[in-house]
Amino acid sequence: MILGLETSCDETAAALVTDDARIVSNVVSSQAELHARYGGVVPEIASRRHLELVVPVVREALTEADASLDDVTRVAVTRGPGLIGALLVGLSAAKAIAWARRLPLIAVDHLHGHVASLFLEPDAAEPPFLCLLASGGHTLLLDVRDHSGFRVLGTTLDDAAGEAFDKGARLLGLGYPGGAEIDRLAREGDAEAYDFPVARVPGLDFSFSGLKTALLYKVRELPPEELATRRADLAASYQRAIVTALLGRTSEAAKQIGAERIAVVGGVAANSELRVGLPGAFLAPLPLCTDNAAMIASAGRFLEGIPYPRYLALDAYASLAA
Amino acid sequence: MLILAFDTATGVATSALVDDGETLAERSTVPARVLEDVDAVLRQGGAQASSLEGIVVGTGPGSFTSLRMGLSAGRALAFALEIPLAGVSTLDALAAGAPGALPVIDARRQEVFALVDGVPVALAPASLRLSPGQLCVGDGAVRYREVLEAAGAEVPADDSELHVPRASLHAGLAGDFGPAEQVEPLYVRVPDADRRPA
Ligand SMILES: [Zn+2]
Repeated sequence: MILGLETSCDETAAALVTDDARIVSNVVSSQAELHARYGGVVPEIASRRHLELVVPVVREALTEADASLDDVTRVAVTRGPGLIGALLVGLSAAKAIAWARRLPLIAVDHLHGHVASLFLEPDAAEPPFLCLLASGGHTLLLDVRDHSGFRVLGTTLDDAAGEAFDKGARLLGLGYPGGAEIDRLAREGDAEAYDFPVARVPGLDFSFSGLKTALLYKVRELPPEELATRRADLAASYQRAIVTALLGRTSEAAKQIGAERIAVVGGVAANSELRVGLPGAFLAPLPLCTDNAAMIASAGRFLEGIPYPRYLALDAYASLAA
Repeated sequence: MLILAFDTATGVATSALVDDGETLAERSTVPARVLEDVDAVLRQGGAQASSLEGIVVGTGPGSFTSLRMGLSAGRALAFALEIPLAGVSTLDALAAGAPGALPVIDARRQEVFALVDGVPVALAPASLRLSPGQLCVGDGAVRYREVLEAAGAEVPADDSELHVPRASLHAGLAGDFGPAEQVEPLYVRVPDADRRPA
């Protein structure tokens, strides 16, 4: 079995995945509540929490699986991209476990992990496909030809889609994480009520920062009593703009590379309007869309393990490796 | 008792393998490479990971990120080897290496970590109460040499070994061995986000 560890952002996670892609246990300890009062992830707070939780989540993953470290043959860990201090907590723990048990270590790219959430049973997807990865940290279009990697076709030039939802939710006085809040409120609103144009940037890239500014101005323009009654319309229109941008670029990318199938991963894949807009797309189950360690172990199945003692020198990386 | 000790709280990572008070091997590197040193001291001491009986980790205070690398490794090792973990303050270990000296660790932002009435605190180096001739050691003492010397303290030469924590001393100071999660880091400071006015 592969033990997966993930600590790149605000979820401390450990999972056990078998060599034939079955999830035996998948433990995710979310820090969302801890960061809610700041309206976003505070790196130092996240890192402190990861340290508190990293051994307990591994313990729990083993207990849930009714297994011990004797059953683990490889350790897979997120090496980047993400918050560097957060990544280092998981990487140090993973190295230490691998070293103590003389196991090979697999260094996994977090984005590859998201893609590999689609390779888990019982509904494993087979490449090739075009993958839209949209989360609080990333918005990417990936050309996935095989299990072991991907090619980046486009990325966001500023905010990630999930970040745009969070910032929009904050402007509308909604809670954090913002995606679910806006999605819920949008159902009661008219998506045509406001026109939020999405920046057209060249190629297959995205830009969401102007959208957030447009919402800020709209919110400021409205008298407070009117704002209260128009919040659902604002949420619906704002969501429509984000989803339209995601869908537009995804279909352009699909045309460009001749992709027959489309997959969506990352936390934004939970958005109901996006799901409706992509009929027939591969969608990982919701618990696997947000950050988790089963996807890291899943990616590890297709990568070479680094043997003892070479992995001891391994460092984490904060930004996109590709 | 065969003990593996290491500390990554300061810019220098120190690792040692100690058997019943006898130092079998000791090395130092930077925090990111501490597990390479851990591996090396075991080989040097002719020991297997599975023969270790306890882990000792430096609990700081120091740089948050490198402190956590050591603690995360220490907790995970204790967990994976099913052996107990003990924490030793980096300030205490520095003091043990230079009896009578005041340990002073660089805390950045123009402050140092030091023990005041036995409690680790972060304060401006000029705020330390120093008696004439008081020996000060640690990377904070080196960085603020001028301030401390002006206040009457003595600071050994920059390259003196007294300024660097040594894991063999941690091993000697370790008392309470217990479950991995019971060993807590000494942050001293609250996270930045909590300092801002609400
Ligand atoms: Zn993610």
